[in-house]
Amino acid sequence: MLSIKNLNVAINGQQILKDFNLEIKTGEVHAIMGPNGTGKSTLASTLAGKEAYEVLSGEVTFKGKDLLEMSPDERAREGVFLAFQYPVEIPGVSVTNFMKAAINAKRRHFGLDPMDAKDFLKLMRQKMELVEIKKEMMSRSLNEGFSGGEKKRNEIFQMAMLEPSLCILDETDSGLDIDALRIVANGINKLRTADRSFLVITHYQRLLNYIVPDVVHVMFGGKIVKSGGKELALELEEKGYDWIKDEVAAEA
Amino acid sequence: MSFADKINSEFELAEKNISSEHILAHIRKDAFTSFQKLGIPSNRHEEWRYTNIKTQLPESLSITGHTTWNLAKDGFNSFAGIKATKLVFLNGVLNTGLSTIIEETGVTVGSLKEHLSHNKGLTEKYFGKLVKKYEDHFSMLNTAFVNDGAFVHVKKGVTAKQPIFIINLYNSPENFTQSRNLIIVEDSSKLDVIVDFQNLGFSSYYNHVSECFVGNNADLNVTKLQTATQHTTAVHTLEAEVERDAKFTCTTISLEAKLIRNTTNVRLSGENSEARLNGLYYGTGTSLIDNHILVDHLVPNCQSNQLYKGILDEEATGVFNGKIFVKQDAQKTNAFQSSKAILLSDEASINSKPQLEIFADDVKCSHGAAIGQLSQDEVFYLRTRGIHEADAKSILTYAFASQIINTITIEALKVYLDNKLKERLHLDF
Repeated sequence: MLSIKNLNVAINGQQILKDFNLEIKTGEVHAIMGPNGTGKSTLASTLAGKEAYEVLSGEVTFKGKDLLEMSPDERAREGVFLAFQYPVEIPGVSVTNFMKAAINAKRRHFGLDPMDAKDFLKLMRQKMELVEIKKEMMSRSLNEGFSGGEKKRNEIFQMAMLEPSLCILDETDSGLDIDALRIVANGINKLRTADRSFLVITHYQRLLNYIVPDVVHVMFGGKIVKSGGKELALELEEKGYDWIKDEVAAEA
Repeated sequence: MSFADKINSEFELAEKNISSEHILAHIRKDAFTSFQKLGIPSNRHEEWRYTNIKTQLPESLSITGHTTWNLAKDGFNSFAGIKATKLVFLNGVLNTGLSTIIEETGVTVGSLKEHLSHNKGLTEKYFGKLVKKYEDHFSMLNTAFVNDGAFVHVKKGVTAKQPIFIINLYNSPENFTQSRNLIIVEDSSKLDVIVDFQNLGFSSYYNHVSECFVGNNADLNVTKLQTATQHTTAVHTLEAEVERDAKFTCTTISLEAKLIRNTTNVRLSGENSEARLNGLYYGTGTSLIDNHILVDHLVPNCQSNQLYKGILDEEATGVFNGKIFVKQDAQKTNAFQSSKAILLSDEASINSKPQLEIFADDVKCSHGAAIGQLSQDEVFYLRTRGIHEADAKSILTYAFASQIINTITIEALKVYLDNKLKERLHLDF
């Protein structure tokens, strides 16, 4: 699904990702954990195509295609989805109109006609249930005045609507109370299928109690320094990140 | 012959055709004297600094010339979806065949020309009074040559059930058409007016003046539509006087223009009165759209709110000048102004000037002017959902503009403008 090889990325002249490597197979859920400032969000933004992130070298292949060659919108139409850590508030654009534009952009990309209004509403209703979103939210401006939990639920709702192949969740658990976390995680779990992969970026282990990963990676200093099964997350929860830092220092 | 000489001789001729007894005789002469002093302004005049109207009015234009016109019922946008009394003017003259009047008790509408003769009590009391308050080149020229226009009167205590739609159609590139509205809403009455302008010819030139009187506790809501005004060079002056406890709302939507100047002067002359002035302008090509607003707080305890939004693309230019005057007596004034513009290209420009002159000491006045581009973070967010960059920008531009469209209270009109905006931005949701 996704193959990242020796990726080096800088922002504002400062290199953040350093020879970063990662392979995600179809249907797998990978978690990336690590201390703050280690480049987790840079990885997410780079994969989504944010302009400020400058790719110095390396390759990223997504479903056999060169991801770095594609514009951010093309990546999305091809099936990459980024759930933002801080979803942007856009006054004046309703969630409904926004989703209609996004769905139809994707359909046109694959040579399909725009979805008819009835089917679209039906799809909306279905996906809203998934993350327990009330229908009033659909006519509200995108993220404007939404609570932290509503914003994250709305991200997962969009993900459900667009049916991506690769879902990147950037600190989706941050700012959520335990109830909101459960709703968001349940929504994500319902979207787990054999042909969809996930990259879950998180600082804390608690999200992984709900979304059980196949592989856990520890990121430090712009690269993955340790990988393991789901029990690695528990070990990190117990021992913190310092022992990883010590290990890295010892190797150097 | 220079344009000024031409205007002089046209005025002399026009004078001969009007009896000295006529209500207009004195008013016209007086206005012409003022106009002669003022002339057509060049950009050396502070109020016209960014809008060089003088160079945009061909000297060959005739002020009194009138092109007759046989227009079919389906030859223009009659806003079929909006139920209203509709008065249709062809090059400034009322056409009864194309107009539709829904009779309502207490509401009088018709040709200003007729009412100046047959409704002397009212027209003598109101006509030409407001334009004298802030004498302006074009309102004086208009008053000197006034011929026809819309007359609207709502009796005391009457709430008009239907809006009055004044549709002004132009097709004459040879004339500088002078058209005029007189709108009177008496005490405790309520009315919605929509004034629409459509250019159906190659290019059109007109000078339009509206005088609006809002009586005690009355409510007048005017929407001006400049949405089918490509190749139009026009000056609009709207004057309003708002009495005690009354409310005046004016929304100006300018989506097409060669050069359009909107001067809006509002006098809050009765205590506890309120003015809401909203505007949306969208310039493309080389168009120039200029909004000059003056809210004059003359008495205590009044409120005013100006909210203007501009979108400028390609080589378009916008001008915003928002004045708030608070006179010495106008204590406890609450006045607010906001002007926001987005520039979608490097060649587009906006000249924005807030101007507050406050002579009272216990007031709340604020203003904000912002000029910027679309937010890169917002564009990126939309793109990460698969929306093409150009569409993402259109969606955000639509969102910016819709704040003004959403203030419109006539639902069918709001839908019309919303669709018009989407069409303009090639949006299909």
